Amino acid sequence: MKPINLTALALAASASSSAFATQYLTVEQAQQVMFPDATGFRDVSLQLTGEQMKQVEKLAGLPARSVAWRVFAAYKGDAQLGSLLGYVVLDDVIGKFELISYAVAVNPDASIKQIEILTYRESHGFEIKSPAWRKQFVGKTAAAGLSIGDGIASISGATLSCTHVTDGVRRIAAIAQVALKK
Amino acid sequence: MSQNNVAPLICTPNRGRWLLALAAACLLAACGGGGGGDSGSSSAAATPITPVPDGGLSQVASLGKKIFSDQSLSASGKQSCATCHNPDNAHAQSNDLAVQLGGANLDVPGFRAVPSLRYLNLTPAFFFASDGTPTGGFNRDGRVNTLAEQSERPFLAPHEMANAGRADVIAKLKSAAYVEEFRKVFGAAILDNSDDAFNRIQVALQQYQKEDTDFHPYDSKYDQFLAGKVPLNAAELRGLALFNNPTKGNCVACHLSAKGSDGSSPLFTDFTFDNLGVPRNPAIAATADPAYFDLGLCGPDRTDLSSRSELCGKFKVPTLRNVATRKVFFHNGYFKTLREAVSFYVKRDTNPELWYPVDANGAVQKFNDLPEQYRKNVNVTEVPYNRQPNMPPALSESEVDDVVQFLGTLTDGYKAQ
Amino acid sequence: MKKNILAQAVALALMASPLAASASEAELLKRLDKLAAEVEQLKAELAATKKKTDTVEKRQDALAAAPVAPAAVVAASAGTAPAVTAPVSTAAAASPATMLGPNTVLSSYGEVNYTRPRHDSSKSQADVARAVIGITHRFDEKTKMVAEFEWEHAVTSASDKGETEVEQLYVEREFNNGLRAKGGLFLIPAGLLNTNHEPTAYYGVYRNFVETAIIPSTWREAGLGLSQTLDNGITWDTGLTTGFDLSKWDATTTDGRTSPLGSIHQEGQMAKSHDLSVFGALNWRGVPGLLLGGSVFTGKIGQKTPDFAAQDARLTLWDLHARYTPGKWDLSAVYARGTISNTEALNQTFAGNPTPVPSSFYGWYTQAAYQLWKNSDYTLTPFLRYERFNTANSYAAMPAGLAVATGPNEGVWTVGTNFNVGEGVVLKADYQKFKVDTARDRFNLGLGYAF
Repeated sequence: MKPINLTALALAASASSSAFATQYLTVEQAQQVMFPDATGFRDVSLQLTGEQMKQVEKLAGLPARSVAWRVFAAYKGDAQLGSLLGYVVLDDVIGKFELISYAVAVNPDASIKQIEILTYRESHGFEIKSPAWRKQFVGKTAAAGLSIGDGIASISGATLSCTHVTDGVRRIAAIAQVALKK
Repeated sequence: MSQNNVAPLICTPNRGRWLLALAAACLLAACGGGGGGDSGSSSAAATPITPVPDGGLSQVASLGKKIFSDQSLSASGKQSCATCHNPDNAHAQSNDLAVQLGGANLDVPGFRAVPSLRYLNLTPAFFFASDGTPTGGFNRDGRVNTLAEQSERPFLAPHEMANAGRADVIAKLKSAAYVEEFRKVFGAAILDNSDDAFNRIQVALQQYQKEDTDFHPYDSKYDQFLAGKVPLNAAELRGLALFNNPTKGNCVACHLSAKGSDGSSPLFTDFTFDNLGVPRNPAIAATADPAYFDLGLCGPDRTDLSSRSELCGKFKVPTLRNVATRKVFFHNGYFKTLREAVSFYVKRDTNPELWYPVDANGAVQKFNDLPEQYRKNVNVTEVPYNRQPNMPPALSESEVDDVVQFLGTLTDGYKAQ
Repeated sequence: MKKNILAQAVALALMASPLAASASEAELLKRLDKLAAEVEQLKAELAATKKKTDTVEKRQDALAAAPVAPAAVVAASAGTAPAVTAPVSTAAAASPATMLGPNTVLSSYGEVNYTRPRHDSSKSQADVARAVIGITHRFDEKTKMVAEFEWEHAVTSASDKGETEVEQLYVEREFNNGLRAKGGLFLIPAGLLNTNHEPTAYYGVYRNFVETAIIPSTWREAGLGLSQTLDNGITWDTGLTTGFDLSKWDATTTDGRTSPLGSIHQEGQMAKSHDLSVFGALNWRGVPGLLLGGSVFTGKIGQKTPDFAAQDARLTLWDLHARYTPGKWDLSAVYARGTISNTEALNQTFAGNPTPVPSSFYGWYTQAAYQLWKNSDYTLTPFLRYERFNTANSYAAMPAGLAVATGPNEGVWTVGTNFNVGEGVVLKADYQKFKVDTARDRFNLGLGYAF
């Protein structure tokens, strides 16, 4: 796994991003917002093993869904020797009809640090982007508090979007616990 | 690639295309005919209908107007349509005879009271609705389907204008003052064929009734009230409420009083038929024969429904517009005042002795204008004539007065003070 | 590939070996053991990778039929392991069947209901209440269209009772500052139900009376709208649209008593537009799980219809609503009120008829639902709702003796449960008790779906 510098990463990210994304944040911006102290981000995208996927499913209560996950490790100081601040996991889910791109900042102990919505195009439920709603995820792990009605309140009129994003964050929390936690 | 709607002229060079377009334009203009024919003639006449300065009537309608009041077209020489359908009296009779006198000497009595010719232009042709209800048609038994068809019989009936036949009518037409206009509009040779010429007379009369707003002015007090322009007084408003109330007068069950969903003004009829059991009118000469019964839908004038015995005794629901101008009421002109007619509705069953003769034993001969076997056809289930002798009538005396007041607002030609 | 790596490993090992030619036999054995272990590890990793590849290929096949919007996936991992990355992790969340093309989504919802009146079982009825198909197509990142077509009561024809309608047909454009504009036939943002009316979105077999009789859901108008959601959770919504047509009022039937606005709506059907209406809605979702909001809709409804006695009549309908979902609870309340002005002259022309035009009508309800039981796919949510409404709350003054009695304040209790199967299917059962018109007490069952 070779370190890739930020510029290349940004270029790659924007080149690959959907031509139809109404992006509120680019991947790069999201990373910097969630880890303002970081001096570098390293691509640590992972592939789950069969065993890991089973563990994720057990922990999150829903399928791991994909093998590959885009993950960046946030570092302060030297990429090899500096301290690990945490991870940024990127994901997409369908809300009601349209794609929602979001990023989850995970602490080294696999608790959620923050989430950011990168693109949201449904006709309703833009409140998902509001700080108040996203704050509900902070500090939680896959073990508890990351389900609608059990730690996360839904947004009236955008139930499906909220449910899918919440499920996505819980899944990522489980993946972090299984595959990223040191 | 053609940009216009003319047939593709893909390969035509420009100049050729212009010529073709010009030719097409000329053809189209010719097809348009001179001027815009408004209502259009219902006949197969090739002559386009063009309005002339005659109160805005088309030429055909203008002829119809002349024919309508031409007394020379009768056997007596003194009877035209206008004689019985007087334009000054809502196109109905001005005298109070139950039936009019016609024939060569104006001494042959008729069989039914003269109906008003107003507000007939929207009557549909006769048909049976999906639930079996007979609807539409002209005359009191709905036996013809258009105004044109209706105009035939009065010319030829022995008790009306009593002409010997169509040829007879046309012969008289040839001496009319407007005969040249007739030829101009319908063709120089039209009078050579009596059937064709008579058909044109019918068309002209129909067109006149359709086009001339004298037949449907919609300028009664009620029309202006519906438009929010004039108020009704207290009695008239009470009368309207009783008229509409399904538990009181319930007149709206047949005499529709509300604007249509398309904004059309109410005609106060739903074009259906009803059997009211109106008393037999001895003033009609034909009733001297005890075997004579006018049964409306099932005869004797109309013959196609004679086997439908449940329809015997049903007559068309007429419009109530201008009802206050009438001199006689119902198909046999039995009643002479509107108040009596309204009272009949509510007291027919509670006080039958007021309306029907009493026989030697003191029994009331209810529904005496129907043979025994058809008396059960009379409508006894709809409000307000669904009561029994020991019950009070659906409307009190003062309520009847209010309804009569309201009906007075349906007279055309109201001018607010 | 397997053979390659193995060969390379062996070769490397062999190449390295000359340097250690002088090493002892024990060292050689040790190195061989190590090599074997490494080979075993490689084998295991290869097996895992193959398994992943198989899974991924299967997923790819499934997705090949319906390619999803090209979300960011591929390039980021371009420099890493040669393993094939899972394309678009998104699609698994949505059924591929809904995608008609890269940017076109098919949606649908439907309801089949059964009703048994408690006091008159001869009126028991089963009905395919509605079948709806929706299409959303995205033209580009900022522009999309939404269409919704509905069939009510199964069969539509001149002699059948069904209705076929276009429920929504609009185009929406998003601007850079989050401002959204739409034009066409769209839903008015009033109450809680009108814009969120799929069977999976409300409790009970039938939509509540306040939001059908007072707010005439599904209420749509043709026109233009603007809206925006701010980061503090406030969404504002405003627009200029067609309105109602009072000349459609039929005083002889009871339609106007069932729903005053429902009997005079135009629904974009050759709608008279001399008098347009305006609306505004404000909704605050600043605290997660809480919604507070309200709306106002107003416009004249005479439409300058010729010879119509109520040219100056104006309708104003406003509502306040709240919804709070703490934990497993789902609490909601709505209050709606409508007024129609300048109806005196028109009502006089309706004298004696049973249904004149009301001057005011209102309704409110409170509802509580609790997620009693949940087990992976199944969710049981019983609920209780009380609503009170009056579709003829007041009339303009009529001359003495002609006044029509104002409508009763009807109260309805609805108790029942929703039973969700997965995300898109719901089974419902409830019992409704009417305070005034007790003949309407009824037991209902329903099946609905939405995707």
